[in-house]
Parts: sequence; C-alpha cells; structure tokens
Amino acid sequence: MSLVHAVLIFTLEEPKDIKSTLEYLMTLFPRKLFNDTLPQVVLKHQLYSIHNDKTLVDKEVNKLRECGELLMFQLGFDSEAFGLVFTSDYKTKVLAGEEGKGTRTTVEKFLEKVLPSCTDLSFSKDKMLKVFLFTDSEITQLVKSGVLTVREAGSWWLSIPNSGKFTKYFIQGRKAVLGMVRKSKYGEVLQADLEERRTTSQVKFPLRYHVHDIVGAELVESIPTTSGTLLRFVDS
Amino acid sequence: MSAADTRAARVLSLTLDPDRDVDRIHGNGINTIDIEAVEGRYMLSGGADGVIVIYDLENYSGKLQYTCKAVCTVGRSSRHVHKFSVETVQWYPFDTGMFVSSSFDKTMKVWDTETLKPAEVFQFEGNVYSHHLSPIARKHSLVAVGTNNPKIQLCDLKSGSRIHVLQGHRAEVLSVRWSPRYEHILATASADSKVNVWDVRRASGSLFTLDQHNGEKSKASAEAVNTAHNGRVNGLCFTSDGLYLLTTGTDDRMRLWNSASGENTLVNYGKVCNESRKKLQFAVSRGCSPDFVFVPCGSSVAVYALHTGELVTMLRGHYNNVDCCEFHQDHQELYSGGKDSNILAWVPVLRTADVEDESNNDNKGAAGLSAVNPAFQDAWSSDED
Repeated sequence: MSLVHAVLIFTLEEPKDIKSTLEYLMTLFPRKLFNDTLPQVVLKHQLYSIHNDKTLVDKEVNKLRECGELLMFQLGFDSEAFGLVFTSDYKTKVLAGEEGKGTRTTVEKFLEKVLPSCTDLSFSKDKMLKVFLFTDSEITQLVKSGVLTVREAGSWWLSIPNSGKFTKYFIQGRKAVLGMVRKSKYGEVLQADLEERRTTSQVKFPLRYHVHDIVGAELVESIPTTSGTLLRFVDS
Repeated sequence: MSAADTRAARVLSLTLDPDRDVDRIHGNGINTIDIEAVEGRYMLSGGADGVIVIYDLENYSGKLQYTCKAVCTVGRSSRHVHKFSVETVQWYPFDTGMFVSSSFDKTMKVWDTETLKPAEVFQFEGNVYSHHLSPIARKHSLVAVGTNNPKIQLCDLKSGSRIHVLQGHRAEVLSVRWSPRYEHILATASADSKVNVWDVRRASGSLFTLDQHNGEKSKASAEAVNTAHNGRVNGLCFTSDGLYLLTTGTDDRMRLWNSASGENTLVNYGKVCNESRKKLQFAVSRGCSPDFVFVPCGSSVAVYALHTGELVTMLRGHYNNVDCCEFHQDHQELYSGGKDSNILAWVPVLRTADVEDESNNDNKGAAGLSAVNPAFQDAWSSDED
C-alpha cells in the first residue's frame, strides 16, 4: 500500500497489532536510497513509539521470530538497537545480491538450513561446524557475502549484507534530527512542527522514520499537549 | 472491589500530602530512610551530614495539619555520630529498641534507641555502601554488608563475630538484600554488572548469578555474558512475597527476575534513569492488585506497574535529586527523601465528604472547614468580579 495510504490509516485508527505496525514502519524505509538492494529494516524500539506496552511488544516480536516470519539483527552501534526484517524480504534481497557470485550456493544453503531452525542473533564456531555442518571455507564464504560478520574470535553475528551504508546514514540522520530538537527554543518542539521542517542533507531517511526512532529509544520525551505531541530533548 | 483492588486504587491516586510534612532536621541530603515493621509508627533517616533522625509518623495533635516530629537525633554534637555520610539505616526487624546504620566513615554501628549510643561498632576497610538485616530471620542474626571490597561480610549481631565472608564478586558491592521469604537467601549487586544469589548455609559459592539474556548467549556481545545489567548494578528490591527480585543498573534499565530460578521475566520498563554512583533505594508496594514499583528518577519518583512495565505516573515535588523512597505498607503511603533535605509524604487523594449526608451537620461543617488548608483559602477575591 502507498505511503500516504498507510500513514492515513495509522493516524485515523488505533494500531491494533504489532505486525501491521511493522508493515507501516517498513513503508517508511527508503528503498530507493539503497537502489533496492537492501531489505526494509525497522528498529525494534520504533515500535515502542506507537504501542505503549513495551513488554507486550517484546512478546509479540518474539512470537513472530519463533514462527519464522521475522528476523532480528544486532546492528552494532548500540547494544539495545535491534533491527527487524521480514524473513521473506531478507531472503529475496540476499539471493538477488548473490546472483552470479561464487558464494551463492553456500549462502543458499545457509538460508535454507540455519534460518528456519534457529532464532539466534549470533553463531559460535562450534555451532556452525558441529550442528549445522558447515566447513571452514564455507564460513569464510558466508562472511565474504555479508550474511555473517565477525563478533569475536570464533563467533559471528547474523547480519544484512551491505548494511554498512544503512548504519552510517541512520546514525547521521539520528544525530541531525536530535540536533533539530535540541536547538529549538527551550529544547522542545511540537512533533507536527518538526515534521514540517526542511531537513539538511544529513538526513537521508524520511523524517518520520527518525522521529519514531528517537521517541522509541527515549532520546526525547514525548509529552501529550492540547496542541499535539511535544518532543522534548532529554539531556543524558 | 476487593481489598487488593482498593489498595491499588489508593496507590494510583498518590499525591503530595498537603496536610502533613516531616520535620526538617537534616542540613544536607537524605540518603536513606526506613520505617519500622512492628507498628509502622517510627521512621529512621540517615543523611549526608552523618546525622541520624527518628520521626514519629502518628498524628496525635488532633488537627488535620501536622508535622511528623523528630523524636530524637544523633546529631553532629553527639560523641558517637558518624564522621561521614550515612548510607544505610535499618531498624532491628523485631522491635524498635535497636537500629543499625552504616556509613562512608567505614563503620557500621548498632545503636541502642533508648540511649542513642552504639552497642557495637564494626570497622571495615572501605566505604560501606549498604547493609541489610533479614526481616524474618529467627535462626540467625546476620547482617550482610556490602563495601567497596568485592567480598561480602556477614556480621553476627549476637556474638559480634564477622568471620563469614561471601566471595564471588569482582568489584565493589553496591547493594545487599535478604529475601523476605527464606531467611537464608541473600541477593547482592555489584559494580561488576553481576547480581549473585547466595544461600548462606552453603560453604561454596553463590547459588546462581542473574543473566539478563536467560542463557541466550547469542544475543549479547561477548563481555556481557552472565551479567544482570550492562553497567553497574546499584539497586535491589524483593517483592514483599519474595517471589520476584527487582534490580536497577546504570544502563538505565530495571529488570524483574523470578527469585527462585533466576530467570529474567523480560518485563520492559523502558528507560529508568539511573546516574547514582552509590546504591539506589527504591520500594515496591504490597498487597495491591496490581503491585507498583516506586523508583527515584532525577527529582521525581517514577511509579511503574510491576508486571506490565507501564509507567503509571511521575511524582513531582522535590527540588533536587531524590535519593531514597520507602512505602508504608499499612497506609499505602510513600515517603521519599532527597538532596533538598526534605522528606516528602505522598498520600492517596482523600475523598471529600458526601454532600447528601444531611444527618451529621456538625461533622460536615467541621470537615468542610478543615479540609481546606487555610493557606489556600481565598480571602481576597471579591464576589463582584
């Protein structure tokens, strides 16, 4: 569904379930920026900005992960920032990126064998060799393709290939939007006003994506007022 | 509504008590307060100036507005006063004849309430961050002491001995707490990000250590394995039935654990601001359905629903950082003390008298007058405006 359609639905109706919230947030992800090579990524704490009950959100996300529909990644810049991607989307994009590459068969094997059976965020060498029966050279291929990244000696994080650009633009954009709130008079701004503002070239993602991020991560305080939601910078 | 629901409703309507305040004796911040368990009448407080004060919380003045008077004080002029700030005070759980205080002057003193002289003084090598006596113990009289030494000392009140030591932590121990359910179970929190649960009858190490990822080693980075928090753990509180343990850490998180299995219940309270370099004293309600947690958060007290993690409200009233809070179980009242040297009382909003009650005109008149604090009575507006 189109972005406008999704946003309309979200502002008019009470968001009922986590999956539809995820789908809405996914529409905010700028696919064109990455030439459609990356799957749509959403951060887990962006859900907290829409649903009040954080414990319920965590439970629902885990349910979706258990039944294999959703994948969670440790993005690396914050121990509490987890990226969420729909499994089908991830598989499509990864395989598309592996077209014509020598590592393709190993990556396929990994996607078929490991993802459905294991919801871990990282894998140790033991597990890869003994449980999933990969060879050392296959593990090297997986790291080369970007599906695994190094965590420490003998253990790897599950990762999204070519997501370095995403992380870089995300951190840049987050810093810029936070700066916009901080530099406002009294360090606070109405959310509606902020979304109207022109963004600098530092902000490559739609402003709403960043607003959900900073509210959900509690980097700004979200205060309901008679003129709408107010975002106040939190000094930490 | 059941009794538990009524108590929960009272907690939800907590506001600053307009009719009561607590005598202001401390010249400096208040670090710790404790209300005795026997009658719920006397409150102890320990301050950054080393002073210890005992207050009488009961209202015998006959008037609605009253001040909780200080009954006695161990002030700066006393020969036995602590030299540096008092970090923890606790009444002897079984009667108010004795209380124990510990301080940054590296001592823990056991006081006789009558004479206000220490019956026993335990000397330590480092700052004492926290101590705790078991509220239910009949078979032992051990005081657990957390200092900046990673070893936890157990001091025996009866014999004065302190040979029992618990080893396991790698950095200073910021908080210690006995279980209110089993008199031999002790939980300890340390700056090494770990929380250990001990059975003091065992000679070997701790029973288990709390793991925030519940054994899912894949989720965390390698260093965070088997830690309770991603930072110093500085607050511990058991729920009153002893079935759950709450911990707070400088990673701005609060976690609820099943105290028997050590499992993280994964209740998400969001960001619980925590900048304390010492122990944090927070409280849990009892007998309410649902139960609430009261956590000092900057200059307010944050109230969370215990099992859902929802932030219910922020109690604002202090002028500076709040350092400690204590819940009065019988009246569902909250007392909080902070750097502004004030102890504030938070009470459930009192219901105004029913208007239909015609029978007791005298009572209604009296209640009507005293229900409004004279300071707030409007004696200057004219009706013609």
